[in-house]
Parts: sequence; structure tokens; C-alpha cells
Amino acid sequence: MAGPKSNSGFHLGFLRVVEVGDDAFAGGLLVTNHLGRPLEFQCTTPVRPNRTQAILYGPTLKPFVWSELIGKTLHARVDVKPQLILVDQPALLELREHVPAPVACLVDGDPRSSELADVTRLQVGRNLLRFHTEFPEDRDIAAAGVERVSADADLLEPLERVTEALRETLRSGSAA
Amino acid sequence: METDAHSRGDAAGCETTSLPLSVGTPDVPVTGVNGALRRLPRIETQAASLLGKAGFVPSWKPYWNRLKTAGLTFPEGIEFLPPKPEKEDSPEKLKKIAAPESRAESQKPRKSTRIKPPADALSLEDRLFYLLQPPLESWLQGQELIMPFEPFPYQFEGIAWLFSQNAALLADEMGLGKTMQMITAVRLLLRAGQVRRVLLVCPKPLIPNWQREFKLWAEEIPVTTIEGDSARRRLIWRMPGSHVFLANYELVVRDFQEMLLDQARAEGRRTGLSLDVDGLGRSLRSRKHVQQEKPPINTDADPANVHAPPKFDLVVLDEAQRIKNRDSLTGTVIRSIPRKRSVCLTGTPIENRPEEMASLFEFMGVVPPRGAPDIRQLTQLSESYVLRRTKDLVMTDLPPRFDRDEIIELAPAQKHAYQQAEQEGVIQLNEMGESISVQHVFELVLRLKQISNYDPLTGESSKLDRLRADMEEIADSGGKAILFSQWTKTLDWLDARLKEFNPLIYHGGVPTGKREPILTRFKEDDDAHILLMSYGTGAVGLNLQFAGYVFLYDRWWNPAVEDQAINRAHRIGATASQIIVSKFICKDTIEEKIDQVLQQKRELFARILGDGDNSNASLSLTASEIFGLFDLKARTGKGERKVTPEEAEAA
Repeated sequence: MAGPKSNSGFHLGFLRVVEVGDDAFAGGLLVTNHLGRPLEFQCTTPVRPNRTQAILYGPTLKPFVWSELIGKTLHARVDVKPQLILVDQPALLELREHVPAPVACLVDGDPRSSELADVTRLQVGRNLLRFHTEFPEDRDIAAAGVERVSADADLLEPLERVTEALRETLRSGSAA
Repeated sequence: METDAHSRGDAAGCETTSLPLSVGTPDVPVTGVNGALRRLPRIETQAASLLGKAGFVPSWKPYWNRLKTAGLTFPEGIEFLPPKPEKEDSPEKLKKIAAPESRAESQKPRKSTRIKPPADALSLEDRLFYLLQPPLESWLQGQELIMPFEPFPYQFEGIAWLFSQNAALLADEMGLGKTMQMITAVRLLLRAGQVRRVLLVCPKPLIPNWQREFKLWAEEIPVTTIEGDSARRRLIWRMPGSHVFLANYELVVRDFQEMLLDQARAEGRRTGLSLDVDGLGRSLRSRKHVQQEKPPINTDADPANVHAPPKFDLVVLDEAQRIKNRDSLTGTVIRSIPRKRSVCLTGTPIENRPEEMASLFEFMGVVPPRGAPDIRQLTQLSESYVLRRTKDLVMTDLPPRFDRDEIIELAPAQKHAYQQAEQEGVIQLNEMGESISVQHVFELVLRLKQISNYDPLTGESSKLDRLRADMEEIADSGGKAILFSQWTKTLDWLDARLKEFNPLIYHGGVPTGKREPILTRFKEDDDAHILLMSYGTGAVGLNLQFAGYVFLYDRWWNPAVEDQAINRAHRIGATASQIIVSKFICKDTIEEKIDQVLQQKRELFARILGDGDNSNASLSLTASEIFGLFDLKARTGKGERKVTPEEAEAA
């Protein structure tokens, strides 16, 4: 009946990575319109680094698997491209280095958030966002787009949907 | 030893002058690093820069790239798809990676109602479709849909459930807002593009109610009411551009019967109403014929097929107990309406026998045509397809309801008339010997009940005296009461004797057009303190939540009907601080005995719906129960025949 009339909608991507069993990870990216209505969803099969990889990557393993492997793949995979990607796992901020869209991390409740420089934080809906320090222009790009997002919006909620959908997908075991 | 050397080399990086970039092939055994390490000597053959980190990861890429994805694009997302796949610009260089740190899970618990995938959704896409919808609260409170009032949490739950089910029976107790939940679900389904044509079937007196509620809860949805003469109705049924059709059972049955016959004639069949398939496309013929069965009717596919009945994405039956009798014309025709989703609404899915559910389930398509599920299967089906909430479970803030049985002594003249009638009646019945039937006993029961209401000779009535006393108090405090009786004659009699309270009458004899104004006046006129209603018309679907008092002047046979009557007042949005229900029972009369039977029925009713008790006992008054009301010498006992309220009324 209704819906965005033009192609100029502002689309948000919600990315979350979950741990599956021992040391394996799976990620999901939900693209919604500015009201939180789903437009597209993609998720990965679980990625399980082997022992060699774990040793060789050391502490960099997780950011690599999460951002470059999972995040980037998902972003490439979705047909409806998000104009802003929201995450609540700081490790995923690194995704910014591999995708053209701004990536922001929800930092509510983080005591350090008040210390963030103004250029890297932004209030959207009920949430405070932090941006990648090396992409200072992101904040302004995002700020222009999120004007359409309701001041009452809860940006954490769609991420819970992602978790739920990942759980469902993994349970069905038919992600192939 | 070797391992140490390798890790040292890797960690320090600059100490080892080269790294085996080309050897990081998929051949490395998962079991350990030994295989790779054995090739260490080759280190010397290739140089790597001291800043070798950059070249390090790509050599492992073949491993990682096996990542598979799964996903879906939502209907609403399709318009945003790029005309052709976008080119990915991927900066390959790696930067310094900060130490990973997983954040704590959500910090603040919030109230949210998720749409759960229905139990019968098997494909992952279907399940994800529902899972990924936003919680109803944000959907409804956002800028998309304006709600006049904030629904209760259990209502959100009901809406979410109705949204996702293809087959549903919403059996919430009266007064919990089934209408509102259904309207909101329809609204969301229309919004989400899940349905385009909806047919709502309800009893005739409820049409204005649905129209009003639609205006309140979904202002933007135009509702097309099926009315007028048959030519006009025929036009309305096929009117394009209408989304929600509202019709009463009688018209639906009449029109669809006609359309089905038309279709049969057009197709050269002589079967009349003996249909081959039901509205869900399931075969109604015996197994033998199934093989050469035609595919389900698809009237959309053939626009020239003007004879086929219109098709709906969703058919909602309000007060769905109307189709409890499978073989009735109503049941047969309603089941033949072409549709995709079927929803039943009723506060009383079982009025008398658990088997009545089977008929509703057949309409919903969850039991095969003519299927006869046993109690255990019914209970199982109920878990997936029935949502029932009772007031005490969900409504902690509903005004308390106090039931009081008012045991009243008959007035002297009334008592005399009663005893005389009873004695004569019993003698007559006894004289009939073996030819006595349930009907004869019923006649006596009804005569005695009428005398308990008032003595037709002297007009004496202890119930009226009590009612008047109660009403004076109610009127003084500005309250409003609803009174129910089985007889319109009693209502008229009371009307003449309660003039000081400005009574209003609402029963089957009141023309439809005059009914709404009566309810409006009762609501708005401060001097109108009592509404006199008959069980038949007043018991179903009307909202009278501003009345704080309910009188059951005489008792109905079926406790479910009595509860429906009481719940006209005891429902959501009730403005009275409490609801007082007075049940008038005359002492030492047939009313006391019937009350005992009703009490037992009520307990049985709770057991079946409560936890699927597999008691198969009939909830109707049986012939022996009827005979048991009197001390009769000759009891034929041959009838375990069920006696329904309709029969009682007919008697």
C-alpha cells in the first residue's frame, strides 16, 4: 500500500557477528529503511579459522575475520546498499577500511563515550554513535542522512533481529 | 623446536628476512603447522621486505574466500536494487588493527513484541521474513501507523501472531479487544503487501460495530460494506480497488451460494452445491477421484471467468461459532470462499461440544475436509493455531468483576402460582406415560421460569422489587446497568414498570436502523440508567463498557452465552471502577436447579479449554438432565439427545 516512493531513501545497514560454537563466527547484515523496515538480509556460513590461522593471525584474527572477511563479504553481497552501517561491536569499526559507506558503532553505556571527540560521535535516535577516527568526514555524511530517522528510534533493536535471524539460519543449517 | 623457530620468525617479523608467501597454499594440513614448517628451508630462497606484514594476509586468502552467504531481499527492498551489480572498490591494503574487544550485550531491557514465524513456515526465507520485521511497538508507534490508543502488551502479541499465521483462531475471552487486534493485523498485512483483498464476515448486528472500530483503529482503510439488493451486491463483490469487504453471514451465504451455482452452470456441471474443492483448493471428493482432480480453482488467472466467486487473500469470520455445524449451509458455503488465509474470531470456540472446534479447524485448513480429529489432536492443533487469553491472565488493570447470586424468595401470589403450575405440570407429564418427550418437559420449565420472573395474573414479582431497590441506588450514584432476559415479553413488561429509570430496550424486534441510536442514547443520556436486552441480540460483540452493573434477570441455558452477555460491560476501556453482576435466582424453584447444572457445565468448559483435558463429556443439557429437573415417575431415558438453546427458545 505504502512505502518509499523514490529511490532516494536512506538505508541503514545493521551488522553483527556472533560466535558459533568454538572459535567460529557467522555474520549477518540487515538493510532497513529509515523506519527500520527490512529491505534485505544476508548472512554468512560460520567461519572457523584453523589452528594455523589462529596462531599466525594472533590478536589480529578477530578483527580480520569480522571486518574484512565477514563484513566486507556481506556488504559486497547485498544488492540494496546501505548508506550507513551500524554495529555494536567495536571490532567491526575496522570494516570502514574496506567499504565505501560510513560505519558507526553504538557506544551507549560505554563510560568512555563521553570522552570521544565531537568529530567522531553523533546522537541518532536514542543512541550515541562513534565513527572511525581516520574517516572524519563520515560523521557529517551520516548526520545528513539520519535526519529522517525518528528521534525515538532504537538502533540497537535491529541488531537483535540480526542475531535472531542468524540463530534461525544456523539452526536450519541450510545457509548454503 | 621447529615450531619455536617459526613463531619467533613470524612474531618478530624483521628478524627473519623472508616469509614463505607462496607456500601458504590450501595444502597446509589442519592438524598442525608441521607441514608448513618443514618447508622452512625455502625461506632463504625468497626475500621479503621488512614491512612484510602487508603481503602476509593475501597469501592466505584462498582459504577465507570460501565464505558462503544466504539471504533474502524483502518486497519493499526490490525497488532499491541497482539496475546492475555495483562494482566493488576494495582497498586491499591492511592497516593497523586495534585490539579486538567484544562489547557487552544490550544494556537496557526494553518492551518489544517480535513477530514469530508461524509453526508451519518451513523455508528459511519465510521464517526470516517474519523474524526480521521490526518489533510491533516501533512499527506502530513510528511515523508509519498512527494508533489512537496504546495497545496492551498482550494485544501486541495477538497482533504479531495474527500477522504471521495463515490459519488462526483468536479465541480471547470477550472484552480483550479481538476486533482491534484483527483490524491492526489487517492494517499491517495490507501495509506489508501480504494481503490485498480481505473479507470480514460477522453477524448482522455487528456490522456498525466493525465499521466504527475500523474508523477508530485504521482510519486510512476504506471499508466496503456489502449491502443493497442482489444486483447491487453482485457489483460490490467484484468492485476493484476495495481492500476490505464487510458482510454479514446471511448475505455471504446467499451471494456465494448463487455465485457457486452460476459457476457450476457456466461450467456445465450439474452438481449444484456439491462442490469438488473447498475455498482452499482442497479436494472434497473421495480418495478414488482425487487422481483425476483438477487443480485448485484460480479465478484470478482467468479474467473472463466472470461466474467464479471473487477471491480473497484473507477471510475473517467474527463470532466464528456460526460455522460450528459442519453440515450446515453456512458452514459449507463459507468454507468454499476462495481464499489464502483464514482467521476465526470467537470468544467461545466451544459452546457445547469440543467437536465444534473441528469445523472451525476445517475452515482454517488445518484439518482435512471431513477430518475428525480426536481430543488429543484437537489439543495439539490448538497449540499451533489457537490463541486464547483470559481476562484474569492478562488484565490486571481491568476493573474487578463481582458476581453475586441474588437468591430471592417468591412473593406469596407468585409462589402460589408457581406451585400450582408445577404440580399441574408434573401430573400432566406423568399422565403422558411413555409418550413424554423432552419438549414437553421444556414447556413446563419455561412456564415456571416465566412465573419466577413475574406472576402473569397479579403482576407480582419479587425479582422486580429487588431490581427496583438496586436500581434506585445505581441511579442515585449516576450509574448504568444492563439487564438481560430470555424473553422480549419480560423486557417489555419491565420497561413499563421501570419508567423512573428511563429504560431503553434493545432486542431482536428492534429494527436494525434504530439499534445504533439506542446504544448512543444509553451512552450519552445521563438519565438513561438501564438498558433492557435479550440474550440473543445483546450478547454478541457490542461494546457497553461504560455500564458498571449487569443483571441476569433470568438465566440462559448456556454459560458461554451468559458470559458473553456479562462481558458487554466487563471489557477493555471499562470506565466503571468495578463491574457488579447480579444473577437473579428464585429460591426453591426450577431456577435453582438449572443454576446447579450451569455451574457444572461451566466447570467442564474451563477444563477443556484450560488444558485440553481429554474429557469427552457433552456440555449440553442431556435429556436425562432435563428430566432430572422434576421428580417424574416415568422417565423414558431413551434420549441422550442433546438439547440446544435454540430448541429451548423454539419451545
